[in-house]
Amino acid sequence: MYLTRFRLNTARSGARKLLASPQAMHAAVMSSFPTLLPSDTSGPRVLWRVDRTSRAEVFLYIVSPPEPDLTHLVEQAGWSTQPEWQTHDYAPFLSRLARGDVWAFRLTANPVHSIRRKPGEPTKLTAHVTPRHQMGWLLSRQDAAGFRVVEKPVEQRRLPQGDEYELVVHNRQNRAFTKKTSKDGLVSLVTATFDGRLEVTDPDALRRTLTTGLGRAKAYGCGLMTLAPADSDR
Amino acid sequence: MSVLALLLAGPLQAWGASARFARRTTEHAPTKSGVLGLLAAAQGRERTDDLSDLAALRFGVRIDQRGTRIRDYQTAKHLDTGRSMPVSERFYLADAVFVAAVEGDDTLVNDLHRAVRNPVYLPYLGRRSCPPARPLDLGIHDGRTLEQVLKEEKWHAAGWYQRRLRDQPEVTLGLLIDAFPGDPGADSLRDLPLSFDPLHRRYALRGVRSDTVSVPNPCARRTTPPDHDPISALGGE
Repeated sequence: MYLTRFRLNTARSGARKLLASPQAMHAAVMSSFPTLLPSDTSGPRVLWRVDRTSRAEVFLYIVSPPEPDLTHLVEQAGWSTQPEWQTHDYAPFLSRLARGDVWAFRLTANPVHSIRRKPGEPTKLTAHVTPRHQMGWLLSRQDAAGFRVVEKPVEQRRLPQGDEYELVVHNRQNRAFTKKTSKDGLVSLVTATFDGRLEVTDPDALRRTLTTGLGRAKAYGCGLMTLAPADSDR
Repeated sequence: MSVLALLLAGPLQAWGASARFARRTTEHAPTKSGVLGLLAAAQGRERTDDLSDLAALRFGVRIDQRGTRIRDYQTAKHLDTGRSMPVSERFYLADAVFVAAVEGDDTLVNDLHRAVRNPVYLPYLGRRSCPPARPLDLGIHDGRTLEQVLKEEKWHAAGWYQRRLRDQPEVTLGLLIDAFPGDPGADSLRDLPLSFDPLHRRYALRGVRSDTVSVPNPCARRTTPPDHDPISALGGE
C-alpha cells in the first residue's frame, strides 16, 4: 500500500475543475494507475480525500495498492517547474499499529442510514445531517473499524450532552451533481469531516479500515481515514 | 431556606431606582423593589399592605443578556379633561434577559412560587407597559444558597444572542447580589421598599455587591479542526 500526497495549485483552472466536481477528481485519481483497469472491481480499492487547510493550501491524499503516477495531475493542477508529489510506502506504518496506540485521525465520510418513514414502505438511504447524528454514525462504527474515539475527561466537557468525545465535525457539505448512469441523473451527497483522537482496539480491523475505507461514496472522496501523531497535551 | 428563581425577559423592561418626576430612568438590571413589587402583586397584596416580610428576603440578579437602553419621549392627554399631561422621558431596556432570585424562609418562598404560577395581579417587568415574554417561573431550589442558584442556572439569553457569542465557549455574566452588612466593596442604592403606598412611597438604602459568573454557551462553535499531517506519522520514510 502507498500513501500519496499531492498539493493542488488552486490558481489553475484545472485544479478548480477538479475541486468543483468529485466525479472529475475521481476520474483523475483513477487515471493515475496504469495497471488498474476500470473494469477490474475485485481488488482492494483506491481511496482519496481532499484536505483544505486554507484557500491556497489544498492537499489531495491517495491511499492505493499500486504506486500512482500523478504526471497528468501535475500538468492540469500542479506546478510545472516543480512536479512534486510524494508517495510513501504505507506498509511499515500499517504493520507498526498496535493495540492501545493513540493517534489523531481525520476522516471525510458520507454518514447515511436506512430508514422507513411509515410501516411497509421500502427503506430509503438517508443522510445524517446534524453534527450530533454524524458523530453518532462514526461512534456506531468504531468498534467494527478497530478503534475507539478517546473520551474527554469530565472536567473538560463544556456541554452536558454531545461533548463526551475528543471529536469535532467540521466542513459539513451538501453537494449535488448530475450523473448519466444514475436513475434520475442526480447524485446528492452529504459529507462531513471528522477530526479527533482514537485508541487502537483491533490493529487488523484498523488496517482494513485505513486501506479499504469507512462508509459509502468512496469514489467521491469519502471514507479515507488517515492517522497522525497525537499531541499529548491536547 | 430555599430560593425562588425568576426569568425576566421581555421586549421592554424598565427598572427605576432613583427615577422621579418626568424623567423616568432605568437601572441596567432589575431592582429589588421592582421584583418584590411583582411578587407582592402576584400574591394580591394591596399597595398599602405591609411588605416587611418580602423586604427581608435576600435578592440577587444575573444579567443574562444586557439589552440596549432606549429613550421614549412621551406626550399624553388626560382622558377626562383633555389637558396635556407633563411631557416625560422614559427609558427602557430593550431585548434584555435576567435571572432574578429571592432567598428566604421556606413557607414564604413556597407561597411566592404558588403566587407566581397563579398571580392575582398580572406581573410586568418594572413598568405596566412591559409584559414578560417568557414564563417567569424557574422553580424553587431547596437547600441551596442564592449564589449557588444564580451560578448554576443555565444561560437564558435569546438564541440569536448566544450564537453571536459562539466564539466564547463560556460567557461571563454579571451578578448583583444583596451585600451582607458591613461589606466594604458594596454600592448602595435607594432600592429597599418600605412602603408601596401611592401617597407615601418610601425606600431605604440597600447594599449591592457586584460579581461575575461563567456559564457554558450551548451555541459555542466547536473548536477549530487541528492540523493534520499523516505523512509525519510514517516516521521519515
